[in-house]
Amino acid sequence: MKLIPIPEDKYDEYRITLMFDCYKWDPQFLDNNTIAKYALVITKEEHKELERLTEHLDKETQEAEVFLNKNPKLAIPLALTKKVSNELKRMNNYDSDKHIRLMRYDFHPTVEGKWAVSEVNSDVPGGFAEGSLMPKEAKALLGESKYWYRCFGDILVNAIKKKVIKSGRIMLVHCTSYSDDRQVMQFLGDRLKQEGFRIIYGAADHLRFKDNKAFCILDDNEGEVNAIIRFTPLEWLVDIKPKKWQGYFDTNTVSCNHPIAIYAQTKRFPLVWDVLEKNGINMSTWRELLPETLEVKDAKGKEGYIYKPAYGRVGEKISIKEACKEDEYKQIMSEVKRHPKKYLAQKKFISKPLVGTDGEKFHVCLGSYAVDGVHAGYYARISRSPRIDSNAADIPVLIEGEEE
Amino acid sequence: MAGKEAYKIWAPAGKKWVDWVRPVPFVAINEYSKGYTLSSVAANRGVFLEATYEDAAIIVDLPGEQSVAAGIVLAKLGYRPIPIYNGTIEQQGARATVDNQSVGVALLLGAGELKSINLDDDAMPAFLLDSNRLHRYKMDASIFDNSWDVYPQDMPSAEYMLDNGVHRVVVVSEEFSKDLKKILYVYQKKNIEIFLTDGYEVPKKITIRKLFCKDKD
Repeated sequence: MKLIPIPEDKYDEYRITLMFDCYKWDPQFLDNNTIAKYALVITKEEHKELERLTEHLDKETQEAEVFLNKNPKLAIPLALTKKVSNELKRMNNYDSDKHIRLMRYDFHPTVEGKWAVSEVNSDVPGGFAEGSLMPKEAKALLGESKYWYRCFGDILVNAIKKKVIKSGRIMLVHCTSYSDDRQVMQFLGDRLKQEGFRIIYGAADHLRFKDNKAFCILDDNEGEVNAIIRFTPLEWLVDIKPKKWQGYFDTNTVSCNHPIAIYAQTKRFPLVWDVLEKNGINMSTWRELLPETLEVKDAKGKEGYIYKPAYGRVGEKISIKEACKEDEYKQIMSEVKRHPKKYLAQKKFISKPLVGTDGEKFHVCLGSYAVDGVHAGYYARISRSPRIDSNAADIPVLIEGEEE
Repeated sequence: MAGKEAYKIWAPAGKKWVDWVRPVPFVAINEYSKGYTLSSVAANRGVFLEATYEDAAIIVDLPGEQSVAAGIVLAKLGYRPIPIYNGTIEQQGARATVDNQSVGVALLLGAGELKSINLDDDAMPAFLLDSNRLHRYKMDASIFDNSWDVYPQDMPSAEYMLDNGVHRVVVVSEEFSKDLKKILYVYQKKNIEIFLTDGYEVPKKITIRKLFCKDKD
């Protein structure tokens, strides 16, 4: 795995191309440019290993969530919110064949020369365009014949085509006030339009449910929809008032993702692995890759643990001391103390940084997608800090050698 | 003029502050459904700033195309206008809470004027916001909510401001909006002075109070 610089004289145009042709609408975060000046190149062997690990993780995760769905009492250690827990029984009609299961597993190279996985983005993984169009642009700049990439968008669209009727109406559910969400949905919407689908951009409360089917109530776009692609996190969705969200849990309308995703979305997911294994669910790949995870109380007095929020996003509120700014660490620790069930303790791994052209070191988070159990490409970010958060830069992932 | 071409005029490569220009309205221009035609971006208010504001960054928070027009006025005074509009367009056919399309059209038109203005490489910034962004009242559930907030990450940090010679921020608006107040409070904590003007009056120094929980969104 290495960093290959984007030619300096081409970078400005590359950045503008990503904004205008590749749906990268958030190129700046505070004082940080969020478009890396490098491409991340992985070897064929690394790709093969990541592909295998991703598919194994995905199999284990899907088996675990189906089991927990049938045995919701065993999910108590996940400490799901009361609102979500109350609706779990609605999911007893869940049929994985009807829906599209999309997840992204975040891998990190470690100083031991191994991979560590920090989490699975089980509910609403992002980075769609970055995992589809960004590598295409980088490949054109760095050498068409030397590298290839696995296009996430093509794989997701093919999965949708398999399960949604031709020319069907697809609702792209997102927080309509956030352009960062819209850029993800707009990429997918434009891509699906090319395939003949009719696309509706709307918010979670623009859907109503009747007889387990989803209906759009958005102005001038009313009527049944044939698929829901949701980018509004489930834990936000349940806070929508008035309460119109329960139908998501038992709908037969094709969903990506179905709320079944909540079991693995909480970072407390590892706290039920012992129970899962006792019931014959294999979690060995997860055990191999995810650092040891404990209840906050069980990590008391132990060295080398960090605290993570159960529903944290993009690295926020993770207590990596050297990555925290000003009094952030103190604030996180105070919150952990007050709400231990909303956090978990995890053994810290030491990320092995890659070195850029001028000797600068970058930590890597390599997200590896799976769609319906099959590896579906990459979305990566690099950061000067070991905590990969919103200050990190998006980087295209290319694979060495000839395309498979 | 295409959106990309207009963007390059508002955010010329290599110039100071332009990394914060948001591409969102420029990208969406080809998707606009309302067919607006503006003949000019004439400002209906001046922006009263004396020469003593040379250590100030400006934040224009006026309705829609008025803020674009004020940006052009400020460009003529030597400030570099930095549009940070971030609202998306509505689903086709749906009524929306905010008209984000008029801003995009004004930016296109403004690009024609801005092109002819020579700005110093180290010109101080004038960040442009649409004060209509916070209109989020939905008279019924079927309306598309494309209101938006400005967040701290959409602007330079206080440290960056100070390192680049900004010791005062002048807000051109009728009042401080709730989202902007949160950003200004952080600037103030780092000893950046905050001023407010409606564009007609001499800017007045204001102390931003810490927001209470009930004030938070």
